[in-house]
Amino acid sequence: MAMSSKEYYAEIEKVYKKPEDYELAGKGNAYVRVDAEAKVTGRAKYTDDIDLPGMWYCKLVRSPHAHARIKSIDFTEALKVPGVKGVLTGKDFPEGHNMGNPEAFKELADKEPICREIVRMVGDEVAAVCGVTEEAAEEGMRLVKVEYEVLPAVIDPFEAMNNDAPYVHYKNTNNISMFTTMIGGDPDKAFAEADYTDKHYYMTQQMVHAAIEPHGAAAIYENGEWTIWSTTQGAYVTRFWIAWGLGVPESAVRVIKPHMGGGFGGKLDAFAHELCPAKFAQQLGHPVKCILKRDEVFLGTRTRHPIAFEIETAFTKDGKLLAKRCRHILDGGAYGGSGIAANALSLICATFPYKVDNIDMTARRPYTNKPASGAMRGYSACQVHFAHDVHIEEVAESLGIDSVELRRKNAITPYYTGPTGLQFTTCDFDETLVRAAEAIDWAKRGEIPRGSGTGVGFAGSGFMSGTGFPVLVTPRYSSSSTLVRLNREGYATVFSGANDIGQGCDTVMVMIVAEELGLRMDEVKIVNSDTTLTPWDAGSFGSRVTFLGGNSCRRAVGDAKLKLLTHWGEEWGCKPEDITMKDHRVFVKGDPEKNISYNEACFGYEEKNFGRCISGVGSFAHDGDKDIYVKNRGNYAPAYSFSSSAARVEVDMETGQIELKHFVFAHDCGRPLNTRAVEGQIEGSVLLGLGFTCYEECKYDKDGHHLNPSFRDYRFPTALDMPSIQTILCGKPDPDGPMGAKEAGEGSTAPVGPAIANALTYATGLKFHRLPVDPETIWRGIRQKKLTGAIDVGLEGLEEKFAKMPDVKPFH
Amino acid sequence: MKKAIKFMLNGDPVETLADTNVTMTDFLRRDMHLTGTKRGCEEGECGACTILLDRRPVASCLMLATEAEGHEIVTIEGIMEDGKLHPVQRQFVEKWALQCGFCTPGMIISAVALLEENPSPTEAEIRDAIAGNLCRCTGYAKIVEAIGAAAESLSRKVA
Repeated sequence: MAMSSKEYYAEIEKVYKKPEDYELAGKGNAYVRVDAEAKVTGRAKYTDDIDLPGMWYCKLVRSPHAHARIKSIDFTEALKVPGVKGVLTGKDFPEGHNMGNPEAFKELADKEPICREIVRMVGDEVAAVCGVTEEAAEEGMRLVKVEYEVLPAVIDPFEAMNNDAPYVHYKNTNNISMFTTMIGGDPDKAFAEADYTDKHYYMTQQMVHAAIEPHGAAAIYENGEWTIWSTTQGAYVTRFWIAWGLGVPESAVRVIKPHMGGGFGGKLDAFAHELCPAKFAQQLGHPVKCILKRDEVFLGTRTRHPIAFEIETAFTKDGKLLAKRCRHILDGGAYGGSGIAANALSLICATFPYKVDNIDMTARRPYTNKPASGAMRGYSACQVHFAHDVHIEEVAESLGIDSVELRRKNAITPYYTGPTGLQFTTCDFDETLVRAAEAIDWAKRGEIPRGSGTGVGFAGSGFMSGTGFPVLVTPRYSSSSTLVRLNREGYATVFSGANDIGQGCDTVMVMIVAEELGLRMDEVKIVNSDTTLTPWDAGSFGSRVTFLGGNSCRRAVGDAKLKLLTHWGEEWGCKPEDITMKDHRVFVKGDPEKNISYNEACFGYEEKNFGRCISGVGSFAHDGDKDIYVKNRGNYAPAYSFSSSAARVEVDMETGQIELKHFVFAHDCGRPLNTRAVEGQIEGSVLLGLGFTCYEECKYDKDGHHLNPSFRDYRFPTALDMPSIQTILCGKPDPDGPMGAKEAGEGSTAPVGPAIANALTYATGLKFHRLPVDPETIWRGIRQKKLTGAIDVGLEGLEEKFAKMPDVKPFH
Repeated sequence: MKKAIKFMLNGDPVETLADTNVTMTDFLRRDMHLTGTKRGCEEGECGACTILLDRRPVASCLMLATEAEGHEIVTIEGIMEDGKLHPVQRQFVEKWALQCGFCTPGMIISAVALLEENPSPTEAEIRDAIAGNLCRCTGYAKIVEAIGAAAESLSRKVA
């Protein structure tokens, strides 16, 4: 057996600071974010703030049709605009160098940098125009004449799977981009032996990330190489795709991630707005910038997969979950890209946080002529936990068991192994269930009459803490690597590949280094997310940054610390682990003779080693099977987080108006590295979850035109819409997490939706099967109940659609 | 076409030519090199471009640069006092009231305007004052807390 990453670094653990000596980790107000001052003063530079001498601007020409063949492109009028300097079409990029994930599934490498012949969604890129000003480029863009042959489009994912449906990419595939199966135990036997079985249907909508900063990039080409500043969640991954798209070696491309105005998964993929300015910069000899307008972000970037669910479960009469069958239909939109993990994640998420040993689950991801679906915060988990936890509530009601008790009865316990090979480690899910129930006064829920307009709802969930697998570059490791250099002038520098997209990982890395070296936060400098300056990191996704990046950083500083303390151990005749680093001093406790400053300690090492500086290298990689997306078995992450949430809502039973009054979130994230940072993640998750449940949906007409690509028509919660939020931090330090931490960024989004939906169900006496549940949905539901007595809302035709699905052989 | 304009910007007089069709956001960012004012939607929905016009918060993307004529404009770069963080800025730092930071300049401008008009706002009044500033990261909780704390620290200063 090969050595594990933990064994590889075992040696340096002996000089790690002991938890009882932590001065920064686990505290709330011991330090502030390292980027806070730059951000409150307006000095923080984001991609759109990059302004280089001689900079020109790029605009993209986009398709007005959901599906069409490009017959001709005429640039005559565009090129007459004063200041228009150049144009690009798909033919300016090497053929076959598509964006996607060719090493796992070659068919999913399906996105051309600019469409060469076929456009597959409204907003697909057809050409690019470069102008000396943004206005010139925009005027040129408007004057490009494109002649199309409009092709039949397919908008609905179920229709897309019909045998006679128009095909988005490949003939005779029923438009299915991925078909994933997970089977475990003996589900048929379990269903046959069960006291209780049922079948329910649910549906979620298309939602967008809506980071306030639009996507964009700025590129310069000098001395035969590119430097590209981009709104990316992974500088290295973006570099890989830009080099591939341009057909040049990766060594000729440097990608820098400036400050990022939010990502949420929407800035993982590679896009035309990165490749086109890069191409123009090379062709025209000027730096070129391309920043998307808000409607372009809606049309041309990524969305959250809408998922239709058929869920069957088998229980004993006292509420033990025996088996689960489910079918998930994920609307993939027009392209693959970061959508590659969607199927597998949707099924994996259906196997926890409740133990189920017998499963029979499939996921299909049909292409449609809509914006491409991809990763979004709580990737697949938000949709899956909405459906599966609303389902738990319905089962509890049918069985006459309190739903929190039903959840507790089936909750994952520490070191349980799931039916698809997930190896759970630390788990305090039960504690989150108990404490969230206490905080919302769950025991008294029964005193509120059902359908009175007031409701309390509950939900549980779990998530991967540190996804072990890359989304967009395979089979490369999803590792993270860090360098730390100690400086004899009294500071340290950390070179971190981790990508701070707003979540605060730069602060985490600085804190870890400061904590280990006994330095102040401002004595640790960070160099971040630059492919020339910082080591490899797979990107910010899958709640991997704190866990993988944090461990990597701690090992890097541990490596440097061990070198320093080994030297002083030899000088002082003691073991390295007997030496303490604290308050800028290096000393042996109780021995005033062995007590020097950090500066003296570093200098002493360098003096002895002919001036060699002290540096450390660390990395962290999940020891998993790189073919997980093909085999669909194995352990997905080095640890898992667990959470419970509870919502109190009030509904105006006349108008359907919804008010989320209070929200409780109990999260097992191991040792929180900073309590305020974790609370911030959770509070933000509640916003995304409330938006998902009650506000947000991209709407299309029958021809695939987006009907609401603006913040006016696509609304998400404002400060007036958000409830008071109570965060309860649960769990014990995780032995494998950096200083005991587990994730807090993505898993926290997953149980919000079902808690609110369950509360709305209780408040209205209706049953909601489809998101979003907005005031109109409720108003219609109340009216329907009055007229017909029917309480199911949003179920229309779903069962029939599943029944009519053509039989397609599983692949992938 | 350009037009001569004269106005106060962050306490200093400015006399310059501005394109007649350029928004205040683009004028500040491009001509004045003040990039703290952000472009989030450019249609008055997100609030990331909020500036003070005669001490009242406005979406600078809905305003032409030439409309600044004769007025007093303050951007996020003009909020610090004597080289020190304004109490609102300080509380945003201390309370972790930001994550990606893209909405932060506009949010701080709205908060400063609120506290100038209403030195001791209730939580509801704070939420109302920033309802036009969208934040996708924080859920607003720590922002509301920071503005409340800034109000308190300002009132202590006056007292």
